[in-house]
Amino acid sequence: MTAASSHTTAATADMHAELAARRRRARRGLVVTRVLIGVELALVALPLAVVAVWAFTDAWPWPDLWPQSLSLRGIEQALSGRQNMGWETLALSIGIAAACAVITTTVAALACRALCHFRWRGRSAFQFATILPFIIPSTVFAMGVQVVFLQVGLARTVPGVVLAHAVVALPYAIILMTDITQAAGTHREEAARTLGAGPWQMICHVIIPQLLPGIISSLSMCYIMSFSQYFLTLLVGGGRVQTFVLVLFPYLSGGDRTIACAYSLVFLAVTFAVFLIFELVLRRFGVREEGELYG
Amino acid sequence: MQVALEHIDLELGGKRILRDVSFAVEDGQFVSILGESGAGKSTTLKVIAGLVPQDAGRVLFDGACVDDVPTHRRNTAIVFQDIRLFPNMDVRQNVAFPCKMRKMPKAERLATADAMLEAVQLAGFGDRRTYELSGGQQQRVAVARALAAHPRALLLDEPFSGLDEQLRDEMRKLVSRLHAEFGMTSLMVTHDPDEALVMSDVIVYMSEGRVVQTGSPAELLLHPADDVVRAAFDNSSSIEGVVDDGCFTSGKLVVPAHDVPRGPAVLVRLAGRAPFVHALS
Repeated sequence: MTAASSHTTAATADMHAELAARRRRARRGLVVTRVLIGVELALVALPLAVVAVWAFTDAWPWPDLWPQSLSLRGIEQALSGRQNMGWETLALSIGIAAACAVITTTVAALACRALCHFRWRGRSAFQFATILPFIIPSTVFAMGVQVVFLQVGLARTVPGVVLAHAVVALPYAIILMTDITQAAGTHREEAARTLGAGPWQMICHVIIPQLLPGIISSLSMCYIMSFSQYFLTLLVGGGRVQTFVLVLFPYLSGGDRTIACAYSLVFLAVTFAVFLIFELVLRRFGVREEGELYG
Repeated sequence: MQVALEHIDLELGGKRILRDVSFAVEDGQFVSILGESGAGKSTTLKVIAGLVPQDAGRVLFDGACVDDVPTHRRNTAIVFQDIRLFPNMDVRQNVAFPCKMRKMPKAERLATADAMLEAVQLAGFGDRRTYELSGGQQQRVAVARALAAHPRALLLDEPFSGLDEQLRDEMRKLVSRLHAEFGMTSLMVTHDPDEALVMSDVIVYMSEGRVVQTGSPAELLLHPADDVVRAAFDNSSSIEGVVDDGCFTSGKLVVPAHDVPRGPAVLVRLAGRAPFVHALS
Protein backbone atom coordinates (compact mmCIF):
# COMPACT_ATOMS: atom_id res chain seq x y z
CA MET A 1 0.00 0.00 0.00
CA THR A 2 1.44 3.37 -0.92
CA ALA A 3 1.70 6.20 1.55
CA ALA A 4 -0.83 8.24 -0.39
CA SER A 5 -3.55 5.55 -0.36
CA SER A 6 -3.08 4.78 3.35
CA HIS A 7 -3.50 8.47 3.98
CA THR A 8 -6.75 8.40 1.97
CA THR A 9 -8.02 5.34 3.94
CA ALA A 10 -7.33 7.10 7.20
CA ALA A 11 -9.18 10.16 5.96
CA THR A 12 -12.17 8.01 4.93
CA ALA A 13 -12.26 6.32 8.35
CA ASP A 14 -12.16 9.74 10.00
CA MET A 15 -15.03 10.87 7.86
CA HIS A 16 -17.10 7.77 8.79
CA ALA A 17 -16.46 8.29 12.48
CA GLU A 18 -17.44 11.92 12.12
CA LEU A 19 -20.68 10.98 10.31
CA ALA A 20 -21.55 8.35 12.95
CA ALA A 21 -20.99 10.88 15.73
CA ARG A 22 -23.15 13.41 13.95
CA ARG A 23 -25.93 10.81 13.52
CA ARG A 24 -25.75 9.94 17.25
CA ARG A 25 -26.02 13.60 18.16
CA ALA A 26 -28.97 14.03 15.82
CA ARG A 27 -30.74 11.01 17.39
CA ARG A 28 -30.17 12.39 20.88
CA GLY A 29 -31.52 15.73 19.72
CA LEU A 30 -34.62 14.02 18.36
CA VAL A 31 -35.29 12.30 21.71
CA VAL A 32 -35.02 15.62 23.56
CA THR A 33 -37.35 17.25 21.05
CA ARG A 34 -39.95 14.51 21.49
CA VAL A 35 -39.81 14.73 25.29
CA LEU A 36 -40.28 18.50 25.15
CA ILE A 37 -43.24 18.18 22.79
CA GLY A 38 -44.72 15.56 25.15
CA VAL A 39 -44.37 17.91 28.13
CA GLU A 40 -45.92 20.74 26.11
CA LEU A 41 -48.89 18.52 25.17
CA ALA A 42 -49.37 17.39 28.76
CA LEU A 43 -49.23 20.90 30.21
CA VAL A 44 -51.02 22.95 27.57
CA ALA A 45 -52.86 20.97 24.93
CA LEU A 46 -54.42 18.38 27.28
CA PRO A 47 -55.96 20.87 29.74
CA LEU A 48 -57.22 22.89 26.74
CA ALA A 49 -58.80 19.77 25.28
CA VAL A 50 -60.50 19.07 28.61
CA VAL A 51 -61.83 22.64 28.67
CA ALA A 52 -63.11 22.23 25.11
CA VAL A 53 -64.90 18.96 25.98
CA TRP A 54 -66.40 20.42 29.18
CA ALA A 55 -67.83 23.32 27.18
CA PHE A 56 -70.06 20.92 25.26
CA THR A 57 -70.89 18.65 28.20
CA ASP A 58 -74.03 18.45 30.26
CA ALA A 59 -72.94 15.95 32.88
CA TRP A 60 -69.53 14.43 33.48
CA PRO A 61 -69.51 12.82 36.94
CA TRP A 62 -66.37 11.31 38.47
CA PRO A 63 -64.91 8.70 37.72
CA ASP A 64 -66.26 8.46 34.15
CA LEU A 65 -63.58 8.82 31.49
CA TRP A 66 -66.00 10.33 28.98
CA PRO A 67 -69.01 12.66 29.62
CA GLN A 68 -72.42 11.02 29.92
CA SER A 69 -74.24 13.51 27.75
CA LEU A 70 -73.24 16.38 25.50
CA SER A 71 -75.13 19.66 25.03
CA LEU A 72 -74.80 23.18 23.64
CA ARG A 73 -76.15 24.74 26.84
CA GLY A 74 -72.80 26.34 27.80
CA ILE A 75 -72.00 27.90 24.44
CA GLU A 76 -75.59 29.10 24.07
CA GLN A 77 -75.46 30.87 27.42
CA ALA A 78 -72.02 32.32 26.74
CA LEU A 79 -73.19 33.95 23.53
CA SER A 80 -76.91 34.45 24.18
CA GLY A 81 -76.79 37.68 26.14
CA ARG A 82 -78.89 36.37 29.00
CA GLN A 83 -78.25 38.11 32.35
CA ASN A 84 -76.28 40.94 30.76
CA MET A 85 -73.71 38.57 29.28
CA GLY A 86 -72.84 37.48 25.80
CA TRP A 87 -71.97 39.65 22.80
CA GLU A 88 -72.29 43.02 24.52
CA THR A 89 -69.97 42.00 27.33
CA LEU A 90 -67.57 40.53 24.84
CA ALA A 91 -67.61 43.69 22.72
CA LEU A 92 -67.03 45.88 25.79
CA SER A 93 -64.12 43.70 26.93
CA ILE A 94 -62.50 43.75 23.50
CA GLY A 95 -63.01 47.51 23.33
CA ILE A 96 -61.43 48.11 26.75
CA ALA A 97 -58.51 45.78 25.98
CA ALA A 98 -57.93 47.33 22.55
CA ALA A 99 -58.04 50.87 23.94
CA CYS A 100 -55.68 49.89 26.73
CA ALA A 101 -53.30 48.25 24.24
CA VAL A 102 -53.21 51.28 21.94
CA ILE A 103 -52.85 53.86 24.73
CA THR A 104 -50.20 51.90 26.62
CA THR A 105 -48.16 51.12 23.51
CA THR A 106 -48.25 54.74 22.38
CA VAL A 107 -47.11 55.99 25.78
CA ALA A 108 -44.44 53.27 25.95
CA ALA A 109 -43.14 54.09 22.47
CA LEU A 110 -42.81 57.78 23.37
CA ALA A 111 -41.22 57.00 26.75
CA CYS A 112 -38.70 54.61 25.17
CA ARG A 113 -37.82 57.24 22.59
CA ALA A 114 -37.14 59.76 25.34
CA LEU A 115 -35.12 57.18 27.32
CA CYS A 116 -33.08 55.77 24.44
CA HIS A 117 -32.39 58.72 22.15
CA PHE A 118 -32.06 61.71 24.45
CA ARG A 119 -29.87 62.60 27.40
CA TRP A 120 -31.61 64.73 30.03
CA ARG A 121 -31.52 65.47 33.73
CA GLY A 122 -33.57 62.93 35.69
CA ARG A 123 -33.51 60.31 32.95
CA SER A 124 -32.41 57.48 35.26
CA ALA A 125 -35.06 58.38 37.82
CA PHE A 126 -37.68 58.38 35.06
CA GLN A 127 -36.45 55.02 33.82
CA PHE A 128 -36.84 53.59 37.31
CA ALA A 129 -40.30 55.12 37.60
CA THR A 130 -41.47 53.32 34.48
CA ILE A 131 -41.00 49.92 36.13
CA LEU A 132 -42.51 50.96 39.49
CA PRO A 133 -45.87 49.29 38.76
CA PHE A 134 -43.92 45.98 38.73
CA ILE A 135 -42.77 46.50 42.26
CA ILE A 136 -46.10 47.53 43.77
CA PRO A 137 -48.51 44.55 44.03
CA SER A 138 -51.53 45.11 41.79
CA THR A 139 -53.95 44.61 44.73
CA VAL A 140 -52.26 47.47 46.56
CA PHE A 141 -52.37 49.56 43.42
CA ALA A 142 -56.06 48.71 42.92
CA MET A 143 -56.98 49.88 46.44
CA GLY A 144 -55.11 53.15 46.03
CA VAL A 145 -56.26 53.91 42.53
CA GLN A 146 -59.88 53.28 43.50
CA VAL A 147 -59.73 56.01 46.13
CA VAL A 148 -58.17 58.47 43.69
CA PHE A 149 -60.58 57.58 40.91
CA LEU A 150 -63.55 58.03 43.26
CA GLN A 151 -62.33 61.56 44.01
CA VAL A 152 -61.83 62.54 40.37
CA GLY A 153 -64.96 60.79 39.10
CA LEU A 154 -63.24 58.07 37.11
CA ALA A 155 -64.41 55.20 39.33
CA ARG A 156 -67.10 52.96 37.85
CA THR A 157 -66.44 54.32 34.35
CA VAL A 158 -65.03 52.62 31.28
CA PRO A 159 -62.25 55.24 30.84
CA GLY A 160 -61.28 54.66 34.48
CA VAL A 161 -60.93 50.93 33.90
CA VAL A 162 -58.92 51.51 30.70
CA LEU A 163 -56.60 53.91 32.53
CA ALA A 164 -56.07 51.52 35.47
CA HIS A 165 -55.30 48.65 33.08
CA ALA A 166 -52.90 50.87 31.15
CA VAL A 167 -50.91 51.68 34.29
CA VAL A 168 -50.49 47.99 35.10
CA ALA A 169 -49.54 47.10 31.52
CA LEU A 170 -47.11 50.02 31.00
CA PRO A 171 -43.93 48.45 32.45
CA TYR A 172 -44.36 45.36 30.24
CA ALA A 173 -44.83 47.55 27.19
CA ILE A 174 -41.77 49.63 28.04
CA ILE A 175 -39.59 46.58 28.54
CA LEU A 176 -40.77 45.16 25.21
CA MET A 177 -40.16 48.43 23.36
CA THR A 178 -36.82 49.49 24.88
CA ASP A 179 -34.51 47.10 23.02
CA ILE A 180 -36.07 47.63 19.64
CA THR A 181 -36.05 51.42 20.05
CA GLN A 182 -32.36 51.20 20.95
CA ALA A 183 -31.62 48.90 17.99
CA ALA A 184 -33.51 51.07 15.51
CA GLY A 185 -31.50 54.15 16.53
CA THR A 186 -31.93 57.53 14.87
CA HIS A 187 -29.63 56.99 11.88
CA ARG A 188 -32.37 56.21 9.38
CA GLU A 189 -34.42 59.12 10.70
CA GLU A 190 -31.51 61.44 9.88
CA ALA A 191 -31.32 59.97 6.39
CA ALA A 192 -35.08 60.39 5.92
CA ARG A 193 -34.92 64.03 7.03
CA THR A 194 -32.22 64.90 4.52
CA LEU A 195 -34.33 63.17 1.86
CA GLY A 196 -37.25 65.50 2.55
CA ALA A 197 -39.39 63.68 5.14
CA GLY A 198 -41.35 66.04 7.39
CA PRO A 199 -42.19 65.13 11.02
CA TRP A 200 -45.43 63.24 10.24
CA GLN A 201 -44.06 61.53 7.18
CA MET A 202 -41.14 60.37 9.30
CA ILE A 203 -43.46 58.86 11.92
CA CYS A 204 -45.54 57.02 9.28
CA HIS A 205 -42.85 55.90 6.87
CA VAL A 206 -39.75 55.46 9.01
CA ILE A 207 -40.33 55.30 12.76
CA ILE A 208 -43.43 53.08 12.96
CA PRO A 209 -42.22 50.52 10.36
CA GLN A 210 -38.89 50.29 12.19
CA LEU A 211 -40.56 49.69 15.56
CA LEU A 212 -43.38 47.51 14.23
CA PRO A 213 -42.25 44.15 15.67
CA GLY A 214 -41.98 45.76 19.11
CA ILE A 215 -45.26 47.61 18.68
CA ILE A 216 -47.09 44.38 17.81
CA SER A 217 -45.54 42.50 20.77
CA SER A 218 -46.50 45.34 23.06
CA LEU A 219 -50.06 45.57 21.69
CA SER A 220 -50.51 41.81 22.17
CA MET A 221 -49.13 41.88 25.69
CA CYS A 222 -51.21 44.87 26.80
CA TYR A 223 -54.30 43.46 25.15
CA ILE A 224 -54.05 40.16 27.00
CA MET A 225 -53.17 41.88 30.29
CA SER A 226 -56.30 44.00 30.08
CA PHE A 227 -58.55 41.29 28.69
CA SER A 228 -57.68 38.89 31.53
CA GLN A 229 -57.67 41.46 34.36
CA TYR A 230 -60.13 40.55 37.12
CA PHE A 231 -59.48 42.19 40.48
CA LEU A 232 -58.54 45.61 39.19
CA THR A 233 -61.58 45.73 36.89
CA LEU A 234 -63.85 44.66 39.73
CA LEU A 235 -62.55 47.34 42.07
CA VAL A 236 -62.25 50.27 39.66
CA GLY A 237 -65.35 49.30 37.66
CA GLY A 238 -67.26 48.86 40.89
CA GLY A 239 -69.38 46.13 39.29
CA ARG A 240 -70.82 48.59 36.81
CA VAL A 241 -68.23 47.93 34.12
CA GLN A 242 -68.93 44.27 33.32
CA THR A 243 -66.08 42.68 31.41
CA PHE A 244 -65.89 39.15 30.15
CA VAL A 245 -63.63 37.93 32.95
CA LEU A 246 -65.94 39.43 35.56
CA VAL A 247 -68.78 37.35 34.14
CA LEU A 248 -66.60 34.26 33.78
CA PHE A 249 -65.17 34.28 37.30
CA PRO A 250 -68.26 33.30 39.36
CA TYR A 251 -68.75 30.23 37.16
CA LEU A 252 -65.13 29.22 37.68
CA SER A 253 -65.39 29.50 41.46
CA GLY A 254 -69.09 28.69 41.73
CA GLY A 255 -69.15 25.30 40.13
CA ASP A 256 -70.99 25.37 36.81
CA ARG A 257 -68.07 24.01 34.86
CA THR A 258 -69.96 23.72 31.58
CA ILE A 259 -70.61 27.45 31.42
CA ALA A 260 -67.17 28.35 32.81
CA CYS A 261 -65.53 26.24 30.11
CA ALA A 262 -67.79 27.64 27.41
CA TYR A 263 -66.74 31.16 28.45
CA SER A 264 -63.10 30.09 28.54
CA LEU A 265 -63.40 28.72 25.04
CA VAL A 266 -64.86 31.98 23.74
CA PHE A 267 -62.11 33.84 25.63
CA LEU A 268 -59.44 31.72 23.93
CA ALA A 269 -61.02 32.07 20.49
CA VAL A 270 -61.21 35.86 20.78
CA THR A 271 -57.63 36.17 22.00
CA PHE A 272 -56.42 33.85 19.28
CA ALA A 273 -58.27 35.88 16.65
CA VAL A 274 -56.73 39.14 17.91
CA PHE A 275 -53.21 37.65 17.81
CA LEU A 276 -53.88 36.33 14.32
CA ILE A 277 -54.79 39.84 13.18
CA PHE A 278 -51.53 41.18 14.66
CA GLU A 279 -49.56 38.46 12.86
CA LEU A 280 -51.26 39.33 9.56
CA VAL A 281 -50.40 43.01 10.05
CA LEU A 282 -46.75 42.05 10.55
CA ARG A 283 -46.78 39.98 7.34
CA ARG A 284 -48.45 42.83 5.49
CA PHE A 285 -45.51 45.07 6.36
CA GLY A 286 -43.00 42.39 5.43
CA VAL A 287 -41.51 42.30 8.91
CA ARG A 288 -41.78 38.51 9.15
CA GLU A 289 -39.65 38.04 6.06
CA GLU A 290 -36.21 36.59 6.16
CA GLY A 291 -33.30 38.93 6.61
CA GLU A 292 -32.14 41.32 9.24
CA LEU A 293 -34.23 44.32 9.98
CA TYR A 294 -31.33 46.11 11.54
CA GLY A 295 -28.22 45.31 9.51
CA MET B 1 -26.40 75.93 -5.95
CA GLN B 2 -23.73 77.93 -4.15
CA VAL B 3 -23.14 76.84 -0.56
CA ALA B 4 -21.32 79.08 1.90
CA LEU B 5 -20.41 78.72 5.55
CA GLU B 6 -19.62 81.89 7.51
CA HIS B 7 -17.76 81.69 10.82
CA ILE B 8 -19.42 78.50 12.07
CA ASP B 9 -18.76 77.65 15.73
CA LEU B 10 -20.13 74.50 17.34
CA GLU B 11 -19.80 72.87 20.73
CA LEU B 12 -21.18 69.40 21.45
CA GLY B 13 -21.15 67.83 24.92
CA GLY B 14 -18.71 70.46 26.21
CA LYS B 15 -16.25 69.83 23.33
CA ARG B 16 -15.52 72.40 20.66
CA ILE B 17 -16.10 70.59 17.37
CA LEU B 18 -16.01 73.49 14.89
CA ARG B 19 -14.06 76.75 15.26
CA ASP B 20 -14.72 79.62 12.90
CA VAL B 21 -15.30 77.42 9.86
CA SER B 22 -15.78 79.44 6.67
CA PHE B 23 -15.66 78.38 3.04
CA ALA B 24 -17.76 78.68 -0.10
CA VAL B 25 -18.62 76.11 -2.74
CA GLU B 26 -19.53 77.45 -6.20
CA ASP B 27 -22.49 76.09 -8.15
CA GLY B 28 -21.75 72.73 -9.79
CA GLN B 29 -18.37 72.25 -8.11
CA PHE B 30 -17.18 69.02 -6.57
CA VAL B 31 -15.57 69.85 -3.25
CA SER B 32 -13.81 67.48 -0.88
CA ILE B 33 -13.47 68.13 2.83
CA LEU B 34 -10.25 66.38 3.75
CA GLY B 35 -8.74 65.77 7.16
CA GLU B 36 -7.95 63.30 9.92
CA SER B 37 -10.79 61.64 11.80
CA GLY B 38 -12.17 63.95 14.48
CA ALA B 39 -11.39 67.06 12.46
CA GLY B 40 -15.08 68.02 12.33
CA LYS B 41 -15.63 67.07 8.67
CA SER B 42 -18.83 65.04 9.09
CA THR B 43 -20.22 67.58 11.55
CA THR B 44 -19.66 70.29 8.91
CA LEU B 45 -21.86 68.30 6.50
CA LYS B 46 -24.53 67.91 9.19
CA VAL B 47 -24.49 71.66 9.79
CA ILE B 48 -25.01 72.26 6.06
CA ALA B 49 -27.92 69.75 6.02
CA GLY B 50 -29.36 71.29 9.19
CA LEU B 51 -29.15 68.06 11.19
CA VAL B 52 -26.98 69.80 13.79
CA PRO B 53 -27.66 73.49 14.46
CA GLN B 54 -24.51 75.59 14.82
CA ASP B 55 -23.89 77.77 17.87
CA ALA B 56 -22.68 80.75 15.87
CA GLY B 57 -22.24 81.74 12.24
CA ARG B 58 -24.43 81.39 9.17
CA VAL B 59 -25.14 78.82 6.45
CA LEU B 60 -25.99 80.40 3.09
CA PHE B 61 -27.54 78.72 0.04
CA ASP B 62 -27.20 80.95 -3.03
CA GLY B 63 -26.56 83.88 -0.73
CA ALA B 64 -29.72 83.35 1.37
CA CYS B 65 -29.39 82.37 5.02
CA VAL B 66 -31.03 78.96 5.67
CA ASP B 67 -30.50 78.77 9.43
CA ASP B 68 -34.27 78.78 10.02
CA VAL B 69 -35.03 76.24 7.29
CA PRO B 70 -35.57 72.72 8.72
CA THR B 71 -33.57 69.82 7.30
CA HIS B 72 -36.38 68.35 5.23
CA ARG B 73 -36.88 71.63 3.34
CA ARG B 74 -33.18 72.31 2.68
CA ASN B 75 -33.04 69.66 -0.06
CA THR B 76 -29.50 68.53 0.62
CA ALA B 77 -29.44 64.73 0.43
CA ILE B 78 -26.69 62.98 2.39
CA VAL B 79 -25.12 59.67 1.38
CA PHE B 80 -23.85 58.17 4.63
CA GLN B 81 -20.88 55.88 5.18
CA ASP B 82 -23.14 53.32 6.90
CA ILE B 83 -25.64 53.44 4.00
CA ARG B 84 -28.91 53.65 6.01
CA LEU B 85 -31.36 52.11 3.55
CA PHE B 86 -34.89 51.40 4.80
CA PRO B 87 -35.10 47.66 5.51
CA ASN B 88 -38.90 47.49 5.26
CA MET B 89 -38.89 48.66 1.63
CA ASP B 90 -37.56 47.01 -1.50
CA VAL B 91 -34.83 48.67 -3.56
CA ARG B 92 -37.23 50.58 -5.84
CA GLN B 93 -39.27 51.91 -2.89
CA ASN B 94 -36.05 53.00 -1.20
CA VAL B 95 -34.99 55.02 -4.24
CA ALA B 96 -38.54 56.39 -4.69
CA PHE B 97 -38.66 57.48 -1.02
CA PRO B 98 -37.66 61.15 -1.56
CA CYS B 99 -40.19 61.43 -4.41
CA LYS B 100 -42.89 59.96 -2.16
CA MET B 101 -42.04 62.56 0.49
CA ARG B 102 -42.59 65.22 -2.19
CA LYS B 103 -46.02 63.70 -2.97
CA MET B 104 -45.08 62.72 -6.53
CA PRO B 105 -47.72 60.39 -8.11
CA LYS B 106 -46.88 56.70 -7.77
CA ALA B 107 -46.26 55.84 -11.43
CA GLU B 108 -44.04 58.88 -11.85
CA ARG B 109 -41.94 58.21 -8.76
CA LEU B 110 -41.43 54.54 -9.60
CA ALA B 111 -40.31 55.58 -13.08
CA THR B 112 -37.89 58.08 -11.52
CA ALA B 113 -36.59 55.34 -9.23
CA ASP B 114 -35.96 53.01 -12.16
CA ALA B 115 -34.16 55.78 -14.06
CA MET B 116 -31.93 56.48 -11.03
CA LEU B 117 -31.19 52.78 -10.57
CA GLU B 118 -30.13 52.67 -14.20
CA ALA B 119 -27.87 55.68 -13.61
CA VAL B 120 -26.01 53.77 -10.88
CA GLN B 121 -25.88 50.62 -13.05
CA LEU B 122 -28.44 48.70 -11.01
CA ALA B 123 -31.20 48.44 -13.64
CA GLY B 124 -33.41 45.44 -12.88
CA PHE B 125 -32.60 45.40 -9.15
CA GLY B 126 -35.77 47.30 -8.19
CA ASP B 127 -37.69 44.32 -6.80
CA ARG B 128 -34.84 43.03 -4.62
CA ARG B 129 -34.81 43.39 -0.87
CA THR B 130 -31.97 45.58 0.39
CA TYR B 131 -30.34 42.79 2.42
CA GLU B 132 -29.94 40.68 -0.71
CA LEU B 133 -27.45 43.18 -2.15
CA SER B 134 -23.70 43.39 -1.56
CA GLY B 135 -22.19 46.35 0.30
CA GLY B 136 -21.18 48.08 -2.94
CA GLN B 137 -24.62 47.60 -4.46
CA GLN B 138 -26.29 48.92 -1.30
CA GLN B 139 -24.12 52.03 -1.43
CA ARG B 140 -25.08 52.55 -5.07
CA VAL B 141 -28.76 52.28 -4.06
CA ALA B 142 -28.08 54.95 -1.43
CA VAL B 143 -26.52 57.19 -4.13
CA ALA B 144 -29.53 56.57 -6.42
CA ARG B 145 -31.88 57.43 -3.55
CA ALA B 146 -30.04 60.71 -2.90
CA LEU B 147 -30.12 61.57 -6.63
CA ALA B 148 -33.87 60.85 -6.80
CA ALA B 149 -34.34 63.73 -4.36
CA HIS B 150 -32.87 66.06 -7.05
CA PRO B 151 -30.87 67.69 -4.27
CA ARG B 152 -29.65 71.28 -4.60
CA ALA B 153 -26.43 69.96 -3.04
CA LEU B 154 -25.35 66.34 -2.75
CA LEU B 155 -23.49 65.61 0.48
CA LEU B 156 -21.33 62.49 0.68
CA ASP B 157 -20.05 61.43 4.10
CA GLU B 158 -17.09 59.08 3.53
CA PRO B 159 -19.24 57.12 1.10
CA PHE B 160 -16.56 54.63 0.11
CA SER B 161 -14.94 53.85 3.46
CA GLY B 162 -16.90 50.67 4.05
CA LEU B 163 -15.97 49.18 0.66
CA ASP B 164 -12.92 47.21 -0.45
CA GLU B 165 -10.28 48.87 -2.62
CA GLN B 166 -11.48 47.71 -6.04
CA LEU B 167 -15.08 48.68 -5.33
CA ARG B 168 -13.95 52.03 -4.03
CA ASP B 169 -12.24 52.77 -7.29
CA GLU B 170 -15.38 51.84 -9.26
CA MET B 171 -17.54 53.93 -6.95
CA ARG B 172 -15.23 56.95 -7.29
CA LYS B 173 -15.53 56.79 -11.06
CA LEU B 174 -19.30 56.34 -10.81
CA VAL B 175 -19.73 59.32 -8.47
CA SER B 176 -17.46 61.52 -10.63
CA ARG B 177 -19.45 60.52 -13.73
CA LEU B 178 -22.80 61.17 -12.00
CA HIS B 179 -21.55 64.56 -10.82
CA ALA B 180 -20.64 65.50 -14.37
CA GLU B 181 -23.96 64.13 -15.67
CA PHE B 182 -26.32 65.67 -13.09
CA GLY B 183 -24.20 68.77 -12.51
CA MET B 184 -25.28 69.39 -8.91
CA THR B 185 -23.01 70.95 -6.32
CA SER B 186 -21.37 68.13 -4.39
CA LEU B 187 -19.50 68.03 -1.10
CA MET B 188 -17.63 64.91 -0.11
CA VAL B 189 -16.06 64.21 3.25
CA THR B 190 -13.01 61.95 3.03
CA HIS B 191 -9.84 61.07 4.89
CA ASP B 192 -8.21 59.64 1.75
CA PRO B 193 -5.88 62.28 0.18
CA ASP B 194 -5.64 60.45 -3.18
CA GLU B 195 -9.42 60.34 -3.44
CA ALA B 196 -9.64 64.07 -2.75
CA LEU B 197 -6.85 64.90 -5.24
CA VAL B 198 -8.33 63.16 -8.29
CA MET B 199 -12.05 63.81 -7.67
CA SER B 200 -12.27 67.42 -6.54
CA ASP B 201 -12.38 70.87 -8.07
CA VAL B 202 -11.57 72.26 -4.64
CA ILE B 203 -10.23 70.70 -1.46
CA VAL B 204 -11.01 72.10 1.98
CA TYR B 205 -8.45 70.81 4.45
CA MET B 206 -9.71 70.66 8.05
CA SER B 207 -7.82 69.95 11.25
CA GLU B 208 -9.07 70.12 14.84
CA GLY B 209 -12.29 71.86 13.87
CA ARG B 210 -10.62 74.56 11.76
CA VAL B 211 -10.21 75.08 8.04
CA VAL B 212 -6.45 75.02 7.40
CA GLN B 213 -6.39 75.51 3.64
CA THR B 214 -8.85 75.79 0.76
CA GLY B 215 -7.72 75.46 -2.85
CA SER B 216 -7.40 73.34 -5.95
CA PRO B 217 -5.85 69.86 -5.57
CA ALA B 218 -2.63 71.03 -7.22
CA GLU B 219 -2.38 74.04 -4.88
CA LEU B 220 -2.69 71.91 -1.76
CA LEU B 221 -0.29 69.33 -3.15
CA LEU B 222 2.41 71.71 -4.39
CA HIS B 223 1.98 74.64 -2.02
CA PRO B 224 0.69 73.33 1.30
CA ALA B 225 -0.11 76.20 3.66
CA ASP B 226 0.70 74.22 6.76
CA ASP B 227 2.70 71.22 7.90
CA VAL B 228 -0.47 69.18 8.56
CA VAL B 229 -1.47 69.60 4.91
CA ARG B 230 2.03 68.70 3.72
CA ALA B 231 2.01 65.65 5.99
CA ALA B 232 -1.36 64.53 4.65
CA PHE B 233 0.07 64.17 1.14
CA ASP B 234 3.43 62.74 2.25
CA ASN B 235 2.27 59.16 2.22
CA SER B 236 4.85 57.81 -0.27
CA SER B 237 2.17 56.66 -2.68
CA SER B 238 1.82 57.40 -6.38
CA ILE B 239 -1.06 58.44 -8.61
CA GLU B 240 -1.24 57.22 -12.19
CA GLY B 241 -2.15 59.66 -14.94
CA VAL B 242 -1.14 61.12 -18.30
CA VAL B 243 1.22 63.93 -19.32
CA ASP B 244 0.06 66.15 -22.17
CA ASP B 245 0.94 69.76 -23.07
CA GLY B 246 3.38 70.01 -20.18
CA CYS B 247 0.77 69.04 -17.60
CA PHE B 248 0.22 65.86 -15.63
CA THR B 249 -3.51 64.97 -15.39
CA SER B 250 -5.31 62.36 -13.32
CA GLY B 251 -9.05 62.81 -12.88
CA LYS B 252 -9.43 66.45 -11.86
CA LEU B 253 -5.87 66.79 -10.62
CA VAL B 254 -3.69 68.91 -12.95
CA VAL B 255 -0.01 69.47 -12.06
CA PRO B 256 2.61 71.23 -14.24
CA ALA B 257 5.22 68.79 -15.64
CA HIS B 258 7.24 70.64 -18.31
CA ASP B 259 10.24 68.39 -18.73
CA VAL B 260 8.34 65.12 -18.80
CA PRO B 261 7.58 63.50 -22.21
CA ARG B 262 3.98 62.99 -23.31
CA GLY B 263 2.28 59.73 -22.40
CA PRO B 264 1.44 57.73 -19.27
CA ALA B 265 3.14 58.94 -16.11
CA VAL B 266 2.98 58.72 -12.32
CA LEU B 267 2.94 61.44 -9.71
CA VAL B 268 5.26 60.37 -6.91
CA ARG B 269 5.18 61.77 -3.39
CA LEU B 270 7.92 61.03 -0.89
CA ALA B 271 8.27 62.33 2.63
CA GLY B 272 10.55 65.37 2.78
CA ARG B 273 10.54 66.00 -1.00
CA ALA B 274 8.35 68.01 -3.32
CA PRO B 275 5.99 65.82 -5.39
CA PHE B 276 7.39 65.04 -8.85
CA VAL B 277 6.09 63.49 -12.07
CA HIS B 278 7.83 60.50 -13.59
CA ALA B 279 7.14 59.17 -17.08
CA LEU B 280 6.10 55.54 -17.50
CA SER B 281 7.69 54.06 -20.57
